[in-house]
Amino acid sequence: MAYAGSTVHIACAFSIVELLAVLYRSHLRYPGNDPLAEGRDYLVLSKGHGVMAQYACMREKGWIGDKEVKGYFSDGSHLKGLSDSRNPGLEVTSGTLGHGLSVGVGLALGAKLNATDQKVYALVGDGEINEGPIWEGALFAAHHELKNLMVIIDENGYQAMGSTQEVLKLGSIQSKFECFGFKAMTVDGHDEMAIDRAIEELWSTASSSPKALVAKTVKGKGVPFMEHNNAWHYTRLDADTYRRALAAIDGKPQ
Amino acid sequence: MRARLSQTLVHIAQADSKVLLLTGDHGYALFDEFRRECPAQYINAGVAEQNMVGVAAGLARTGFRPFVYGLSAFIPVRVLEQIKIDVAHDNLPVIFLGDGAGFVYSFLGTSHQSTEDIACARAIPNLSVYSPADRFEAAACMRIAYESRAPVYLRVGKSDRGDVHDAVPQEKIGRLLEAKSGNAAEIVFVATGSLVRTAMDIAARSYPDAVVWSAPFIKPIDCDQVASICKRHRVVVVLEEHSVFGGLGSVIAEIASEYAPARVLRIGVRDRFSHCCGSYEYLLREHGLDGAAIEQRVRAYLGAN
Repeated sequence: MAYAGSTVHIACAFSIVELLAVLYRSHLRYPGNDPLAEGRDYLVLSKGHGVMAQYACMREKGWIGDKEVKGYFSDGSHLKGLSDSRNPGLEVTSGTLGHGLSVGVGLALGAKLNATDQKVYALVGDGEINEGPIWEGALFAAHHELKNLMVIIDENGYQAMGSTQEVLKLGSIQSKFECFGFKAMTVDGHDEMAIDRAIEELWSTASSSPKALVAKTVKGKGVPFMEHNNAWHYTRLDADTYRRALAAIDGKPQ
Repeated sequence: MRARLSQTLVHIAQADSKVLLLTGDHGYALFDEFRRECPAQYINAGVAEQNMVGVAAGLARTGFRPFVYGLSAFIPVRVLEQIKIDVAHDNLPVIFLGDGAGFVYSFLGTSHQSTEDIACARAIPNLSVYSPADRFEAAACMRIAYESRAPVYLRVGKSDRGDVHDAVPQEKIGRLLEAKSGNAAEIVFVATGSLVRTAMDIAARSYPDAVVWSAPFIKPIDCDQVASICKRHRVVVVLEEHSVFGGLGSVIAEIASEYAPARVLRIGVRDRFSHCCGSYEYLLREHGLDGAAIEQRVRAYLGAN
């Protein structure tokens, strides 16, 4: 998909692959495998630039086909470079950062007022939490005791122009969310078993707090020459890097 | 007018439990009745307008009918991107009530004054823009907004200037309403919000045969009706407590230039912030929007054109 479309944001998608895989496989409920089912859980991809990883999951679910995947980033494609809510399976339009959590908070409040057991997952980037509305949403979620909301923070340590340490220090993300009234945990964001257990543990907590899961991840995970190399926020694949990336993902020597 | 808005909202909320009122910690006293009658439908989202609009979008997606209240300097201007992306993009039924538009907060200064809100809002696809002039228009606008099940920005400006109609008008989306009848061909007045009253006073004083139209709908607006008004008169004077860029004056001039060339005199805020503070009347004078200054401009324009 990334090569065919000559797309950017490859490394941003690679850091959330395991998180999405666990969510789709074991947690998100879609009655009748319908991405628009009324009682579904909501996955809000607030870091809309990671959407390529979500397209891959939507293809696994059978919601989009190979033709659409191959057409990604091309003329007339509905699969855009950033999340667009008009595609069933994508709950919000994002890419402009700091929006998705607030919409997720509204979904969680709506589910609470409607007395349903729907759960809301909002996946945000660590660079994204520079945005003020994230913290407005965090205050609101705790105040309204939205225990059906889980914020997942993809802490890959980088944002568009550098490391989060260089650009705007974040300190401990877990303790920040705890200060805001969340039940929070930190987990290795590439260890599927650990992610699964942490999500279970957070949901099983008796408190009325919203939840926050800080996932320590590697930007560009899975392809050694992309890992920790922030150039891959924007760099596109060429024939050579495509071949080497595929070989790395398949576990072959490059 | 604000009392009527508040009552209408209470009636709508009592009939539909899915209606929620969200406020960004504004509306002191205005919503006392709402809080008394519909306490479970009232949410003070705190001084966090951006989050409030996102939350409203999420609520709309789960079947609720949010009304989002704030001062018009904040709702819609401060949260324009949230309105565009979170609400308008998917045509969600969220109604934005922007209070105190224009120079209502005359003593407070530029932070709370709002003369660019119409221009900002009308460029956003799917978002309608209503601007009522009196309590009758206000109630009708709110009901129509609710029934439209689509995003609407309802602008509430200076609200104590008296009625411009004798009864609840039979409003249809987009229609301009005749606030004063007449048969003059030379000049016609088209105004919105607070300045409809001003236009009526000027007409009564100096142009007794001129028609005065009130435009409670800025977008969508009945293009055929506007073109027909422009065709029937030599000079169309448009008045609004808003920038001359992008407001009702622009709407009328755009339609006139395409369909019915007419002289359009746009009277509004001329690309400037307020210099001083003072009473509402003082500030209108500072901006040349008091009755005497407007009348003088109209006379000069008629003489020169």
